[in-house]
Amino acid sequence: MLEPRPVAKAARLALAVLASGWSVLPIALVVLASFKPPRDIFAIPPTLIFTPTLENYVRLWELWPGFFDNMRNSLIITAGATAVTVAFASSAGYVYARYASRLLTISAFFMIVVRMLPPIIVTLPLFPLINWLRLNDTHIVLVLLYSTFFVSLATWIMRAFIEQIPRELEEAAFVDGANLGQILVRVILPLVANGLVAASIFVLVFAWNEYIFALVFTTRSARTTPLVISEILSTVEGVDWGILFAAATVQLAPILAFVIAVQRYVIAGLTASAVKG
Amino acid sequence: MNRLRSVHYAMIAPAQVLLVAFILLPAVYVGWISLHRWSFADDPVFVGLGNYAAIFADRVFWRAVWNTFLVVNTVVYGELALGLGLAFLMAGWMPCKKLIIALLIAPYAITEVSAVVMWRTMFEPDIGMINWALMQIGLDQLEWSSDPNHALFLVALLSIWIHTPFTFLLLYAAVSTIPGEYVEAAHIDGATPWQTFWHIKLRMIMPALLIALMFRYITAMRVFGEVWLLTEGGPARLTEVLAVYLYRQAFRYHEFGTASATGLAMLVISLLIALPYLHQMHRRMFRHAGA
Repeated sequence: MLEPRPVAKAARLALAVLASGWSVLPIALVVLASFKPPRDIFAIPPTLIFTPTLENYVRLWELWPGFFDNMRNSLIITAGATAVTVAFASSAGYVYARYASRLLTISAFFMIVVRMLPPIIVTLPLFPLINWLRLNDTHIVLVLLYSTFFVSLATWIMRAFIEQIPRELEEAAFVDGANLGQILVRVILPLVANGLVAASIFVLVFAWNEYIFALVFTTRSARTTPLVISEILSTVEGVDWGILFAAATVQLAPILAFVIAVQRYVIAGLTASAVKG
Repeated sequence: MNRLRSVHYAMIAPAQVLLVAFILLPAVYVGWISLHRWSFADDPVFVGLGNYAAIFADRVFWRAVWNTFLVVNTVVYGELALGLGLAFLMAGWMPCKKLIIALLIAPYAITEVSAVVMWRTMFEPDIGMINWALMQIGLDQLEWSSDPNHALFLVALLSIWIHTPFTFLLLYAAVSTIPGEYVEAAHIDGATPWQTFWHIKLRMIMPALLIALMFRYITAMRVFGEVWLLTEGGPARLTEVLAVYLYRQAFRYHEFGTASATGLAMLVISLLIALPYLHQMHRRMFRHAGA
């Protein structure tokens, strides 16, 4: 690569700093403000130096005792949706990677087509149905819905990763008398660990953050964290910003750390799926 | 061992069953509901195309169509320009590349609910940091709670913020695969940087660019939370987008028929936008198909 001149370097660096600021400042602002005493949050000019306090977190604990139950709901639903998606996608991805038939091609094309439909429309028939089955406000509904909307992307990712494994490994295991289940679990899965991570990221982040399905299909006991944050945001007696910032920080910290930790898999997953279709 | 057996169909079945049960059948059923008047409490009454006539005669619906059109185009092209610029910036000389990419993709981890919290905080009337700064330099504040255009602008802004990481990464992956020899060859032949960019780099990433464009058109059209949490479509339903219109018809007014007609309209528009891509995928997949 050609080494750019110093002026060009400075310009590039300046642009990168500017872009990073645009990405990170809104987040940093809320996280920092969650540690400010409530009266300083909207101080003008903004206070940069302040004594950090956990006051907002304590008040979140006291005034919204349900918040941490909702975190648990989010945790259960996210774990469930990720497990279901990755399990279904690995098994389907293996078949698509290794076999070809007209029926398989049709079903693969169907997987691509359904990705284009706007998810909100399924709430209309499912809302009455789920009420009738008395399944509203349960974890299972959200687990299945989140899995549905990410299973085709995850299948594509798994297929791309499995295609890279030489067939000879499976054939050798097959000759040694291993059956299909053993081959999948002992030979394939250990070799596509990266693929499993890549396939799980997208559904995991989606399930942790999702808003509209949770809004439609939960009322009380299965409510997820984003819903409670939205409720704190719309409290009638004026927004309690300190509590709101504390809740947002608690919700975003684990998922942000996760996304940054697995960033190279995000790129790998996107190239494996979206670019190639 | 390469013979396709029924066990292999059983292995794709769980994924396919989910898609059929929770997307395909509901989508078909939406079409059926859209021909009925139904409040979900009583029995559906067949009304033919009455629901379509009703929404097409509703000024709020057309306002929602127009708002969606504005927001989607602003978001998609704003994001594409930003994502493309960042992709080329990060693919070239850059120290601490990993760290900077980590910072750039941070918004991907943020729920739209918290994104609304963040941007509202900065644009809160009189006290929000940016509105305060705008006042200090003698400009007008962004009156997002009273002026529909300002509200939609804020929706587009925070939508771009939250979705740029996705577009950036897609394009970054494409830009990183441009072979260095092509660029060097052009350089040796005396091409200016601009010519190299326009005739080689941009042309090579065009397929990825078009796919990103198509995907973002389809997904941007689903915008809901940003609007609902910021304005609930107000004031006076002037900031509604299609998804908000659908939600309000169904879950506030219990008009499942008109909501379904709206949903079907969204579905048809999505498929029309995806048609060139689907056509190409169809040709490629069925050409390689065995049997």
